[in-house]
Amino acid sequence: MLKYFASRMALALPTLIAVLFITFSLIAVSPFDPVKMMLAAAEMGLDNAENVARMREALGLDRPFLLRFTDYVQGLLIGDWGTSINGQRDVWRMIENGFPVSAQLGLAAAVMTALIGIPLGILAAVKQNSWIDYAIVAVTLVLRTMPVYVLAPVLLIVLVLQLKVMTVPRGWEGVFSSKAILPILLLTFGPLAVVVRQTRQAVLDVVSNDYVRTARAKGLSDYLVVARHILRNALIPIVTIMGFVTEGLIAGSIFMESIFAIPGFGSVSEAAFRGFDYPVIMGVTIVSSVLVILTNTIIDMIYPVLDPRVRLEG
Amino acid sequence: MTQTNAEPAGTGGAVTLPEVRRQRSLWGDALRKLVRNRLAVLGLAITSVLIFGAIFGPALAPYSYTQQHLLRTAELPSGDFWFGTDEIGRDMFSRILYGARTAVMVAAISTLISVVLGMVIGAAAGYAGGWIDSVILRVTDITMSMPSILLAALIAATVKQPVINWAKNVHEQTGFPLFADVTWLDLVIVFGGLSLVFWPVYARLIRGQILSLREKEFIEAARASGIPALQIAMRHLMPNALGPVIVQLTFSFSAGMVLESSLSYLGIGIQPPQASWGNMISSNIGSWSYRPWLVVVPSLTLAIATLGVNFLGDGLNDALNPRSSTK
Repeated sequence: MLKYFASRMALALPTLIAVLFITFSLIAVSPFDPVKMMLAAAEMGLDNAENVARMREALGLDRPFLLRFTDYVQGLLIGDWGTSINGQRDVWRMIENGFPVSAQLGLAAAVMTALIGIPLGILAAVKQNSWIDYAIVAVTLVLRTMPVYVLAPVLLIVLVLQLKVMTVPRGWEGVFSSKAILPILLLTFGPLAVVVRQTRQAVLDVVSNDYVRTARAKGLSDYLVVARHILRNALIPIVTIMGFVTEGLIAGSIFMESIFAIPGFGSVSEAAFRGFDYPVIMGVTIVSSVLVILTNTIIDMIYPVLDPRVRLEG
Repeated sequence: MTQTNAEPAGTGGAVTLPEVRRQRSLWGDALRKLVRNRLAVLGLAITSVLIFGAIFGPALAPYSYTQQHLLRTAELPSGDFWFGTDEIGRDMFSRILYGARTAVMVAAISTLISVVLGMVIGAAAGYAGGWIDSVILRVTDITMSMPSILLAALIAATVKQPVINWAKNVHEQTGFPLFADVTWLDLVIVFGGLSLVFWPVYARLIRGQILSLREKEFIEAARASGIPALQIAMRHLMPNALGPVIVQLTFSFSAGMVLESSLSYLGIGIQPPQASWGNMISSNIGSWSYRPWLVVVPSLTLAIATLGVNFLGDGLNDALNPRSSTK
């Protein structure tokens, strides 16, 4: 078991380094030149070729690409993530400030996704090919298909302008305030369909197994069959999609947060992309990828616990 | 089925067997199931309208996508302007049609590139096995571990300026007229970014299919009877692996439309004044509370279009997947 965990971790690490490397290489080809930006920002006419060259040497930027990459990774480890172009702010600080807000929203949304998605998926499977099944699949698919920047304004128009049931929620007052309801729901809508579809398919797959037929044949109630025989086995594929859920939450928050003026990780990401703020783009990409890799690694570790048939090999 | 052989030669003319024996091929069955699924038919209809709009949109559009009606800005939908006009007086209906072309073009081309790329790489992994397989698997792992919108945005944001500079240089040095106007490069960059995001899905799909199929008896039989490897791949492996790929095609197509809109929404995809549903939403979202139709029109168009393609994909999935067959 321990060997298995170690091998999963050993797989995650090279992936992480490769992600860092890809990000770093892409940023290296971008038109972003930190030295020129710095000298131009000083506004003293210093940004001539000679100064740039000297500055580059002083900062070690004339060194080979791979050395600069290892420098950057070292910097990441000690919390030096660079400075943003727009506003000269510390990138790590920006992420550190925004992240807890988004993490709370994301966790709340993940819980909601499971709480709504799994029962709906089971219901759809049990009532397969009835109008209930069609309605559940269609509605969740509709919600998934609409990107957050489509759903958010449409919902606002309906709820605020037409039905007048609420005012525009703006800002952040903690995850339990009423202002967080709409943002959390919007984040839930994205991954919901994945959970519903996966649950439905898993239940359908399990239902066609012999042991379920046996359970039914020996007279167990429908509820017991679902709870004891189907759900337990169907949970495995559902757990494996948590990586997708994480990804959906990250992507959702990028578009959602600025619409509701929530000062989170998503707002930082969106502002970075809109302003071509390369050091920040790099930071948010790395943090998001690390999150997805971590989630997937943790899932891989839970997997054999859920399903004893999974062979514990590297 | 077997009585044909048992028929005595003399009575053959009197027996009417052919009309009873209807051909039931895999694809025929799939098509029948698809047509019975009402959502899938709706999806097929929406997809057809979308593609029709993308191809003939510019011919159907009443105005040009850049033409400004400066005395009639931000108007509500009317007889002259079916979907109203935006804040600088451009006809929304025409821009939606041009946006359809952008969306479909990006989705189709990036799906095509990624499916070809994924099929070649996935087939190589499945066939070669060994270290080639593990390297390819690792690469797909790495690509898939970055959130797709972030990876696409990262590629588009970083590669854009160098590519445009390169194109300008080429134009200065060679005077090649293709590079005089660089707006089409936006599209190329988005194609590239999206293809790099999508290909791993296909590579893994094809690899998995090949691994599971090549141990099957009918492949073994083909191999044993001396059919060359390439012919086995083309005649036996590919047709059997095609079902899941077709389903995935529709999903990447709709994901491509959404990602294109998302990139354009973030301002790193298709640049204004080129029409994209994403940048139409982005440029009007600030005024959602007093000019809601400017946000609603592109939003609903994007939603209906992607939804239609997804319904079609779901229908195909049910139709082509024998395990979910229901009768």
